[in-house]
Amino acid sequence: MASIDRYNPVTSEIVAELSGIVGEKYVIFGDAEKLQAWSHDEVAEERYAHMPEVAVRPATADEIAAIMQLANREMIAVTPRGAGSGLSGGAVPLAGGIVLLTGRMNKVVEIDLANMMITVEPGVVTNEINDLIRDDGLFYAGYPMSLETCYIGGNVAENAGGGKAVKYGVTGRYVTGLEVVTPTGEIVQLGGKLVKDVTGYNLIGLMVGSEGTLGIFTKITLKLMPLPTANVDLLCLFESAEQAIGAVPKIMTGSGIIPTAIEFMDRSAVRASCEYLNETIPYERAGAMLLITVDGSGAEQVEREYEAIGEMCLEAGAIEVYVADNFTTSERIWKVRRNIGEAYGIVTRYQSSEDLVVPISEIPALVTGMGRIADKYGVQIPCYGHAGDGNMHTRVVMNPDWPVEKWEKTLPVVLKELYELAKSLGGTISGEHGIGHKRKKYLPLVMAEPVIDVMRAIKKAWDPNNILNPGKIFDV
Amino acid sequence: MRIIVPIKQVPETNAVRMDEETGTMIREGVEAIINPLDLYAIEIAIRLREEHGGEIVVVSMGPPKAIKALREAIAMGCDSAVLISDRAFAGADTWATSYVLAGAVKRIGGYDLIICGERATDGDTGQVGPGIASFLDLPVASYIGKVDSVVEKSCRVHRLVETGYEVLDVELPAVLTVVKEIADPRLPTLRGKQKAKKMEIPTWTSGDLEVEPDKLGLNGSPTRVVKIHKPTVARKCEKLIAGDDESIVVAVDRMVEFLKEKQLI
Repeated sequence: MASIDRYNPVTSEIVAELSGIVGEKYVIFGDAEKLQAWSHDEVAEERYAHMPEVAVRPATADEIAAIMQLANREMIAVTPRGAGSGLSGGAVPLAGGIVLLTGRMNKVVEIDLANMMITVEPGVVTNEINDLIRDDGLFYAGYPMSLETCYIGGNVAENAGGGKAVKYGVTGRYVTGLEVVTPTGEIVQLGGKLVKDVTGYNLIGLMVGSEGTLGIFTKITLKLMPLPTANVDLLCLFESAEQAIGAVPKIMTGSGIIPTAIEFMDRSAVRASCEYLNETIPYERAGAMLLITVDGSGAEQVEREYEAIGEMCLEAGAIEVYVADNFTTSERIWKVRRNIGEAYGIVTRYQSSEDLVVPISEIPALVTGMGRIADKYGVQIPCYGHAGDGNMHTRVVMNPDWPVEKWEKTLPVVLKELYELAKSLGGTISGEHGIGHKRKKYLPLVMAEPVIDVMRAIKKAWDPNNILNPGKIFDV
Repeated sequence: MRIIVPIKQVPETNAVRMDEETGTMIREGVEAIINPLDLYAIEIAIRLREEHGGEIVVVSMGPPKAIKALREAIAMGCDSAVLISDRAFAGADTWATSYVLAGAVKRIGGYDLIICGERATDGDTGQVGPGIASFLDLPVASYIGKVDSVVEKSCRVHRLVETGYEVLDVELPAVLTVVKEIADPRLPTLRGKQKAKKMEIPTWTSGDLEVEPDKLGLNGSPTRVVKIHKPTVARKCEKLIAGDDESIVVAVDRMVEFLKEKQLI
């Protein structure tokens, strides 16, 4: 990490200059307790955290541009940060320097009903977008699992996926326009409200998922969809994980229906979450569960579709298929899925949250392989996630009897083997969490050196001084 | 054993918005569900049937669309359902509702237990269960958290009271109103849904029940909603910022003064 050391410290003169740009109130310096909150994201392990030297809370693109110009002039690293709910360290200020908080930029710029688009600032909470447009019969289909807290800016930076990607795809599908402050402090407009646009390189595509290394988004234009009026969830209990996961390719290819979501949860994931929630669905009977959502524009269509999928699950050996067709029941079963991470969080902090992705036909092989690796190393690898799009989530959880040193030695070996497994199945190491600095050293496992070199060249072209979010994805 | 479970269809409380002017709920466009507290009544009824055999009849008074709530109860495992629906019932208060439901229970007949949820999440009165019992002149045990046993013509139940539980032996037939502790409701199944969709659910109107016309609906209701007001929260917060030595002194003085005012010190 030699490149990290070449930055200059944040001096009181620089703090004064930052205060001049954003206002004294919005510069946090010398208060370790406050700054500590911005030293980490949702990655649990402490070794991935790093303290910023100063935090700034700008309110406009002009202020951000001025901050970037100052940072280039003084050689100080800048790390942009949304709500901090990331899972790969994207918002961690690895080189210290300035952490740039986007929370004050939380205005909705425009709701354009005629074009079915919304333009927002990066600090808008993703869930609020849907609250705003529901009455107009519209919705934003990007749906990360952390939707109640995360910011849209972070979603775009990480190209967030989530539970509904099977049918609706990921964040990038909906971003048509971006106002970006470049790492050198220019304000540029990319795209707009066009559904089709082949003018030049697709720089929006480059920006989406760039993990805060290529630009800071200050306005985001999103395409909206007609809000589905009917929505049903099925909770399908299977005797074994193999049976459950085996049903997924059958549903995807054989039902003629694209479900909104197919979530897989193995026995230990379900048990941990149910115990955490005091939920009494009869999980002891089940070796694994599928949570399948179907949505559409009419109750009858959705009923036909969920019945067809439910029947396929029963044919594939499901012990029971539960139906949730109202908000209360639906919430009850989605809570089980959403709280798995939280439930393991209280068991031990020694764990690594992973989101391998493979082609959907390889999901059964991935799940079997993960079980094999867990047995081989004596760790828990509960398996859950977006089975319908091949993005399986897991946590490698330390055996509580182990000394920490043993864990720290074993984890990289387990991760490497998991990543190699994903690769051997035609997959890769992260479907939606990103690389950040957490998975940086594993990137060459799945990406050829010439390809990484192209990314380096792009980074250098945009950010010649390596000011913006240094140390992420790959070393420059 | 025949168990009758009266249920109510209510708006999904998460989605409910209030009309600021009239103070009433905006029910249009809001999903309607089984009153969440009635799910516990359905669950304990199913468990008692699983243990003792018999059948469960679920009954609801409401507009025609309340049939959806009845079908959901069938999907959970109830055996049959009756919808009680008539324009003449509109505007009924808890008295008139209990009166009509008692009439329906009488017509169903042959019952051992009538199990109700503790109260509905929209009206929040908790009166209809005991009201039915009173019209039918049956014993009633409210706030039941556990059914210990059902033997011959008696059941032993635990009644939740402020200081703990009362253990009661109740002669059957009787009315129970149950609380959450009794059992976690199961989810409806696909097979249940399919059965419920096909099931014929009769609708009974006032003509089908032995009820007197002047005791129905708004006209038969002795209570009236005169005014709805939103209670204001009486608690007031006073923030004392103690950031430096000087403000700490001011804050502590104010706190002492406050506690004296309230005669707490």
